[in-house]
Amino acid sequence: MFEIVLILIAPLVGGLMHGSQRVIRARMQNRQGPPLLQPFYDMYKLMDKRAFIVHPYHTILGILHFLTLWLVVALIILGTNLLYVIFLHLLATVFIVLAGFSVKSVFSHLGANRELLSLLAYEPIFIFLATGFYLFFGTYDISVIRENSTAIMTLPLLFIAFLLTIPLKLKLSPFDACEAHQEIVGGVEVEYSGVYFEFLYMAKWLEYIFVFSLLTLFAGDSILFAIALVAVVFLVANIVDNSTARVNIQETVKFLLIWGFGLSILNIIGLSFV
Amino acid sequence: MSSIVFLIFAPFILSIFIPLMSLKIRNFVVITSVISLATVAVNTTFSSAVSFNIPHYIHEVLVALDIFLLLYFLHRGRVQNSTLVSILAIVQLVLYAIVLNLSSAQDGLDIVVDGLSIMMYLIINIVGGLIIIYALEYIEHEDISAKKKNIFIAMLLFFIGVMNALVSANSIELFFLLFELTTLCSYILIGFRADEVATQNSIKALWMNQIGGVAILLALIFSITSYETIYFSELISKVDNTFLIPITLLIVAALVKGASLPFQSWLLGAMVAPTPVSAILHSATMVKIAPFLILKLSPAFTPFVSITLSLFGAFVFLVASVMALNKDFFKEVLGLSTIALLALMISLAAYGTPEATTAAMILLCFHAVSKALLFLQAGILEKNYHLKYISDIDSLINIAPKTLFFIMVGFASLTLPPFGAFVAKFLAITAISDQILNNPLNAIVLALLVLGSVVLAILYFKVTSKLFTKEVFQNFSKEKLAWKYFIPSFALFLLLVAGVLFMIDLKTIKVYELVVPTLLLVATPLLFKYATFKNTPRSKEYNCGEKDEFIVSTHYYEIAPKYLKLFSYIAIAFIVVLQVGGLF
Amino acid sequence: MFDLKKYRKKSPWILHYNAGSCNGCDIEILASLAPKYDLERFGVLNTGNPKQSDVFLVTGPVTFRSRERLVELYTQMPSPKVVIAVGSCTCSGGVFRDMYNVEDGIDNYIPVDVYVPGCASSPELIIDGVVKALEILEQKSKEIELPKKLFGTIKEEEGVLNLREMALSVAQKSEQINAQKSEQNEN
Repeated sequence: MFEIVLILIAPLVGGLMHGSQRVIRARMQNRQGPPLLQPFYDMYKLMDKRAFIVHPYHTILGILHFLTLWLVVALIILGTNLLYVIFLHLLATVFIVLAGFSVKSVFSHLGANRELLSLLAYEPIFIFLATGFYLFFGTYDISVIRENSTAIMTLPLLFIAFLLTIPLKLKLSPFDACEAHQEIVGGVEVEYSGVYFEFLYMAKWLEYIFVFSLLTLFAGDSILFAIALVAVVFLVANIVDNSTARVNIQETVKFLLIWGFGLSILNIIGLSFV
Repeated sequence: MSSIVFLIFAPFILSIFIPLMSLKIRNFVVITSVISLATVAVNTTFSSAVSFNIPHYIHEVLVALDIFLLLYFLHRGRVQNSTLVSILAIVQLVLYAIVLNLSSAQDGLDIVVDGLSIMMYLIINIVGGLIIIYALEYIEHEDISAKKKNIFIAMLLFFIGVMNALVSANSIELFFLLFELTTLCSYILIGFRADEVATQNSIKALWMNQIGGVAILLALIFSITSYETIYFSELISKVDNTFLIPITLLIVAALVKGASLPFQSWLLGAMVAPTPVSAILHSATMVKIAPFLILKLSPAFTPFVSITLSLFGAFVFLVASVMALNKDFFKEVLGLSTIALLALMISLAAYGTPEATTAAMILLCFHAVSKALLFLQAGILEKNYHLKYISDIDSLINIAPKTLFFIMVGFASLTLPPFGAFVAKFLAITAISDQILNNPLNAIVLALLVLGSVVLAILYFKVTSKLFTKEVFQNFSKEKLAWKYFIPSFALFLLLVAGVLFMIDLKTIKVYELVVPTLLLVATPLLFKYATFKNTPRSKEYNCGEKDEFIVSTHYYEIAPKYLKLFSYIAIAFIVVLQVGGLF
Repeated sequence: MFDLKKYRKKSPWILHYNAGSCNGCDIEILASLAPKYDLERFGVLNTGNPKQSDVFLVTGPVTFRSRERLVELYTQMPSPKVVIAVGSCTCSGGVFRDMYNVEDGIDNYIPVDVYVPGCASSPELIIDGVVKALEILEQKSKEIELPKKLFGTIKEEEGVLNLREMALSVAQKSEQINAQKSEQNEN
């Protein structure tokens, strides 16, 4: 029962995180910034607007992206197979990439292509993350990982590698080339408007939940440690976001493949010597 | 036993008579025979393992046939001025003479049908049969004489017969003959259009595949001298860990047929042939010999051979997928992804653990179905819309929605849940992870596998990007497909769907994990059809207020040619290491 | 169901377009979005994408070549929307009034809700203008508002409003007007 409530409020929690992120960013720049509930105001406003669409397929794929992502988050909360969750997340990405490619819009195509390339950067690390937990716990089940003590001492390099993917997944600097707000006008989301844009907007909130719920796996059964981990990482991600410039997508992929994936492989190889 | 004999001999006999038939009779005969072949193949799954001996006098005929075949290759080499072909033919003749000299009449089972063979029967006869039905329509659009069209169909049927025999052969000597016969079939089919490029590529396919023949003969000689047997089953049970050379040589033969890295050019050259040939080479027949042979031999592998071969397979998997990223020719993209996936199957089969073997077998089945489906669509694009290059294909969704649907299903089935290839990858990751603690090199295999599969996913969706782009207001026209085009495609699609049900039966993955993505994927086309958003206004795409139309193109990612050469050298180094490992 | 209208005010997203301005007003607009004046405290985001914007901030006197873009961006914004003309030249043509290549203010082409004077307008004025526009935004209906000059009707195709065609026809219309003008000049 508790899980179902958690699944239902997951987008709302993500929205709060997005709102607090905007507040933190404003405070770091020494300004007042929007209210904490700003993402929800945006959401209500988007519902109120008249929507334009380019063609139905584009819209449907966007909605399916949101639904699949919600499903992914739900499966994580229910504590199912980690590797499977990562593959289902791939399906969600595929929906949004196809949506981006389905319209004759140059920014949408650029964004979708960068989305595909970023898949090359983070997907291997995610799969190795699953492998790392599998080797440590002997199972992919998230519920088992949550019931045991923390694995962070055995998987330190994988933890670092996973931290590197967070800016990429949350579209934060320095790895925000996929969205690149003023450069390619938001990438794949450029052609959405009104209530249909809201689905993508909420999908962005769900990405927060997805990433941070994967992060809590490193904390094991300790809830306090999990909260501390999320808080610290959230803060650090925002500091990095505010203090770095955007790197282009090639550099992003190169950096994450060499450092992120390299560290993951080292960690996995290291496991066999322990 | 009778069903096996039917599977092997019916295609041979039919292929002799088909050239004499008129169009209508031919189509009728071919369709009924294909259906009966498929039915018999399905029937074999219910029978227990069969094994029997070939009568002595047939042996004599087969030896004569073998010598005749090699002489024919020698002749072609001289006619086409290809010294490589001639030399390899002579080498094979000499080696074959040695083999005949060494081998005395032995007691053993020439034909053994086990579970693996039955699985191959299913792939060969069902997928291959559907491709032949498709070829009936396709070949009518070729600009050649009616007799040549008949010969084409007959060759395809003959190929199926050879493959059926090959997967049931237990005697290596017989296997060699059938191996050479598949080489002959591919040589004739690739060179079918008889223009300059076709001839050149067919010669290339001939000499490369003959390397495989030489490897088999050498393996046979070593096997006879060291282990006194010409049978697979006895060789595998007798083989000594310190002298594995017959096995490693047979692996080389498999790699040649599987078009693994140093040998990839023959399969890419096969693109010049009519599309049903590519389809049948890539999905049901020829290249599937590679994983089949590795699966058959894997019980005899030492840990060294096993890990080397897995590393090699994973390496080729990644390299071939990366190579496909800058290709524009639709069939070439499909071809390179075939090479990649075959290498993955080889890599998995080399482990020999139950999970890895299951993964390899699932991949083998579903790769055949998906690739056949994709190649059939490539042929339809070529014949109906005159589209060969991805850069020429614009907004396919408007002109050919059915074809696009099948292409999308084909690509999705190679990467996404709930299809077979996904389950195979899922199993593969688990199987390799299990081995990591024994040998850290497996982590490298896993890394290559993961990277390769992501690159393949990028490749597939990069290609679809070009096809899927749609105008704002342009309703799709009704696409008319000839039934001989539509039925095979639809049947392959149904096979993929049935595969999902089969996966549920397999119990390696939980039911809801298959049902959930299935629902999503079923919902997508339904929503496309019925959700029209009637009340929502349409607006133009955002283009900074400019009026220019955006011309859609795809991204290409090139790797420098010097690396390609390096990759070939690395691949050759792997093979040499494998042989050295076999010797000691 | 609670009234969604009041949230329009809390989250105005801005599209900024320069219709041939000298960049003076653009600098002031960016200044008002930047930390010192911090328009974001009203929930303002500079989206750069008409499809997700509510407030259209236009600077410049509308040069001949920019008017089609102006109208196209305007039609791509979903209703309800408000247009703010920032700076003297945007309101009336300013120092460029009656020049051969200038269209004398954007209200010849699109309906303007708030006029912000000044050459260049100061950030305080711009913020005041935006806040004023938000009140208007709250009152607006969701009916599609048409641009004024270049065309009249919205095309319907299979019962679906086709704004795409509408935007495309701007070019044809302006060509017709050009032709008429040149004919008159010859006469």
